[in-house]
Amino acid sequence: MNGVCLETARTVPASKADVGLAEERALIRRAQQGDMPAFEELVRLHDKNVLRLVVQIVGSDEDARDLYQEAFLKVYRSLGRFRFESRFSTWVYRIVTNVCLDHLRRRRANLEVQAPEPREADIEFFESQAEARPHSNPEQVLRSRQLARQIERALGRLNPRERMVFELKHYQGLKLRAIGEMFGTSEETVKNCLFRATQKLRAQLAEFA
Amino acid sequence: MNCEQVREQIPLYLYDELTADTRTALDDHVRTCSACAAELAAHQRLHERLNERPLRLPSPELVVECRSLLEERLAEEAMGWRALLRAWLAGTPVPAASRALAVLGILILGFGAGWTMRPQVEAVPAATVSGPVTAGMTDLSNLRIAGIRQVAAEPQTGTVRLTVDAEQRLDLRGTVDDPGIQRLLIYAVKNYENPGIRRESLELLDRRTNDPEVRDVLIYALLNDRNDGVRRAALSALSELQWDEPIRQTLIQVLTQDANPGMRVASVNLLAEHADDSVVPVFRQLSEKDKNPYVRLKCASTLRAVSGEN
Repeated sequence: MNGVCLETARTVPASKADVGLAEERALIRRAQQGDMPAFEELVRLHDKNVLRLVVQIVGSDEDARDLYQEAFLKVYRSLGRFRFESRFSTWVYRIVTNVCLDHLRRRRANLEVQAPEPREADIEFFESQAEARPHSNPEQVLRSRQLARQIERALGRLNPRERMVFELKHYQGLKLRAIGEMFGTSEETVKNCLFRATQKLRAQLAEFA
Repeated sequence: MNCEQVREQIPLYLYDELTADTRTALDDHVRTCSACAAELAAHQRLHERLNERPLRLPSPELVVECRSLLEERLAEEAMGWRALLRAWLAGTPVPAASRALAVLGILILGFGAGWTMRPQVEAVPAATVSGPVTAGMTDLSNLRIAGIRQVAAEPQTGTVRLTVDAEQRLDLRGTVDDPGIQRLLIYAVKNYENPGIRRESLELLDRRTNDPEVRDVLIYALLNDRNDGVRRAALSALSELQWDEPIRQTLIQVLTQDANPGMRVASVNLLAEHADDSVVPVFRQLSEKDKNPYVRLKCASTLRAVSGEN
C-alpha cells in the first residue's frame, strides 16, 4: 500500500497524538456549551485528515473547500447530539463520509450514468506527477500517466458507496469495523462492498495487470 | 477451506483483515493449489497497480483557506437564529420529540409575531417612544444607555431603526446622517455584546466613511473587535476610504498582530495596492517569521512584486 496509507491507524485516524482523549473530551464539552475557540481547536485537530480524504475523493481544491465547509458546519450544528458513545473522530468521519457520498451521488447524477472521464484538473495533476520524476524514461512516464488515468476512470465507475469504502480501506487504511461504524452498517456488509469494488477494479485495470 | 472460500477471502487477506486461523488456512491452501496461488498473485499485482495512483495531498494554502472560510461561516452561524435556538434548547433537558414540538412552537410563534408586527401595523408598545429622532436627538446625548436591542436599516425609506434600552425603551428612526443615530451606532460597535449588532451597526456607518468619527470607529473595530466577521467588515469599509498614513499604520498592525491568517492576508492585499518603501521591511520580516505558511508565502510573493527582490 502507498506510504501515506501505511502510516494511518488501524481505526479512524486519530487526532494529533499529543492531544489526549481526556483533553479532547473537555474541548468537546466546552464546544457543546457554545465555546467557539474550543470548537475551532477541535476542527484543527481533525481537519487535515478530513481534507486529505476529501481531496483524494473529489480531486479538486474547489470542491474540497466546499465539502470541508459543509462537513464541519454539520459537525458544528450536530455537536449537541454527540453523546460520547463512539470516538469523536469516528463521529466526525461519519459526517464527512455522508457529505462525500452526497457529493459523489450528485456528480454521478449529473453525468447521467456516463462513465466519468478524468477532468482537466486530473489530467494536469497526472502530468505534473509525471514531470516530477524527470529521470524516468519517456515510455515509463507515458505508461504511468495512462495507468493513473485508468485508475481514476475505474474508481469513477464504482457506485458512490463502493468508491467510499474502497478509498477508506485501500488509500486511507481504515479497518473494516471502523468503516462499518461510519456507514452505520455491519462489517459483513462492508466486506461485500469491498469485494465488489475490488472485482470491478480488477476488470477495469486488466490491461495493466 | 475450499477454493471458493479462499477466493472470497483473498482481498481481506491482503488487507490483513483475517483472523490468524483463517490466514493460516488460506496460506496452507495456496501452497497446494496453483489456481488459487495464481488468483492471489493477480490480486497482489492489482494492489501494486492501484498503489501507483498518485496521491493528492492538500496544500498548506488549502488548509489555511479552508480554516479561514470556516471561521467566517462559524461567525455568521454564531449570530444566526440557529445559535439562539441551540442555546435555548441546550439548557432544556427534554426528549427529542418534545424538542421538535418546541421548535415547531417557536416557528409558529415567530411567524405569528412577524405577522402581527408587519410594517403596516402601527401598534406601538406602551413603553416605547417612536418617531423621527432628528430634533429630539440632542436630548439623547444625555441618555444612560443600558443596551441596544435592534439595529435595522430600512432601505425603502433610507432610514435606520434602533431599539434602545435607556430609562425607557426607545424606538428610534432616522438617517445615518443624524448625529444622534450615528452616536448610537458608534456606541453599538464599541460596546455591544452581540457581534451581529456590532457588524450591522458598522455596515450602516460604512455609508458615512468620510466622517472622521466613523473612520476612527472603523479603525477601532479592526484593531479591537474579537469577532472575525466584524473585523473583516471593518477592513472592507476601510478599503473604500481615501488612503492615508493612519490607515497604512492600522493595516500594518493588523498584518503583524491579528490572530486570523485570513485577516493578515487581506491586509497584505490592501497594503500591496498602496505599497511603498515603508511596507517592504514588514513584508520581508513576515515572509520569514509569520507563523502561518500561507501568510509567509503571500508576503514573499508581494515583496517580489513590490520591490523586485528574488
